[in-house]
Amino acid sequence: MKRKFTMMALVVSLACFSSVASAFDLGKFLEDRINQETNKDKAAQPAPAQPSATTQSAAAKVPPANQKIDVQQLGFALFGDYSIEEENRIGRQISGNLLGAVPLVRDDTLQRYVNLVGNWVALQSGRKDITWRFGVLDTEDINAFAAPGGYIFVTKGLYRLLNNEAELAGVLGHEIAHVTKKHHLKVLKQSSLIGALGQVASSKAQNSDQLVQNLIGNGAEIMARGLDKNAEYEADRVGMVFAARAGYEPWGLPEVLQDMAALPAKDARTSLLFKTHPLPADRLAMLGESVDGRFDALQGKDVANRFYRIR
Amino acid sequence: MKRTLISAATLLLCVSAAAALAAPGTVLRDEKIYGQPSSSAAVAGSVAKGASVNILAKEGGWLRVTAGKTTGWIRLLSVRAGEGSLGGTGVGDVVGAATTRSDPSRVVAVAGLRGLNDEELKQAKFNAGELAQLDTWVVTVSQAKTFASQASLAAVSVPALPEPKPAKAPSSWESN
Repeated sequence: MKRKFTMMALVVSLACFSSVASAFDLGKFLEDRINQETNKDKAAQPAPAQPSATTQSAAAKVPPANQKIDVQQLGFALFGDYSIEEENRIGRQISGNLLGAVPLVRDDTLQRYVNLVGNWVALQSGRKDITWRFGVLDTEDINAFAAPGGYIFVTKGLYRLLNNEAELAGVLGHEIAHVTKKHHLKVLKQSSLIGALGQVASSKAQNSDQLVQNLIGNGAEIMARGLDKNAEYEADRVGMVFAARAGYEPWGLPEVLQDMAALPAKDARTSLLFKTHPLPADRLAMLGESVDGRFDALQGKDVANRFYRIR
Repeated sequence: MKRTLISAATLLLCVSAAAALAAPGTVLRDEKIYGQPSSSAAVAGSVAKGASVNILAKEGGWLRVTAGKTTGWIRLLSVRAGEGSLGGTGVGDVVGAATTRSDPSRVVAVAGLRGLNDEELKQAKFNAGELAQLDTWVVTVSQAKTFASQASLAAVSVPALPEPKPAKAPSSWESN
């Protein structure tokens, strides 16, 4: 964290000398903003579970000292928001990399089914600018992933744990919530503060895919890094609500969490999941605090009869 | 009459579930146990955070449990499947049994397989072919709506859930 700040201070001082910064004291202004961002960053990442994630990515992205600073790019990192096109490009790159590590299950009926359930749940999210894509990954690992722009993946191992459509809706709801709440984009924005130091910025010559790749790091490592705990808790709350709004019984996601809680602790299929997520017991407890009696009157459906089972 | 039938069926289910599928659970917060799966039912007892219960059956957002001498219904979100300390992932060997209706044999069949790891994700190379495959399964909004109505699923108005009162530092994700 300290190193990151020092680096940012370096950018700011460099930015001061650039011709763009002549109109007003841009350097001072940016310094204030960076201080804000850095402190926010500190507050958002107290999780002792993954202490090295941010610093690692920061260290990996240290650009050569003599590289040019693109003030526009830096400005974006501090104030900007990703457009839907950028969001899509980022999600496409992450997803293409993830699929390089794990292919999709070759079962059209399964994949169409998951897309139908997923789109119906996503329709309740209010985000209409997205083409949602859902895929079941051919691995026995128990996990699910979301990438910006509406890319959602569930592993075959997780799918096997499911007992009805409401549980699938709950899992997909959680992942859809990561997209609508832009959790990954927030993480990327923090690391793009460092990327803006020039590596990403001196880009006219590079193609845009390379640019995006620089932003997301190596391969699909962003998926191995995980998100802030609070982002996971938020996705649980929001995902439950999306599934309930879609007419499903809201208990699908908690039931899947119960199944995960009951798995043997040393099961290799959950090692990445439990590395990147709070433990199921904590997630259930947090949901319990929020839900309390609020869903007592809901009459959702579990839609067990048409749930598509895989061999 | 219908009501009696349903309760009789539920009872039967409970009995068979209790016989075949009783599973250990751990209480996640101080909570009441009710005589029926409803917070307006009579309170049959209470349990403290960390207490062990035996899960007998599940109905909606409720679990039928035995805690000491008390048997009754507790909120699904106030218990986690598995026993042991609250910090652990749980050491269940029956995969939630009563709570999940899972067929344990399915799970046993795949146990021992390895999971994904950081290194393979880091090394992953962009696969355009798989991405194109993904696009072939995209469905339209109207297809999704038709699919929902086929199972009589209709959109329901459900307000957002509040953030739980922060135990320590508040989340910055909301304000961010």
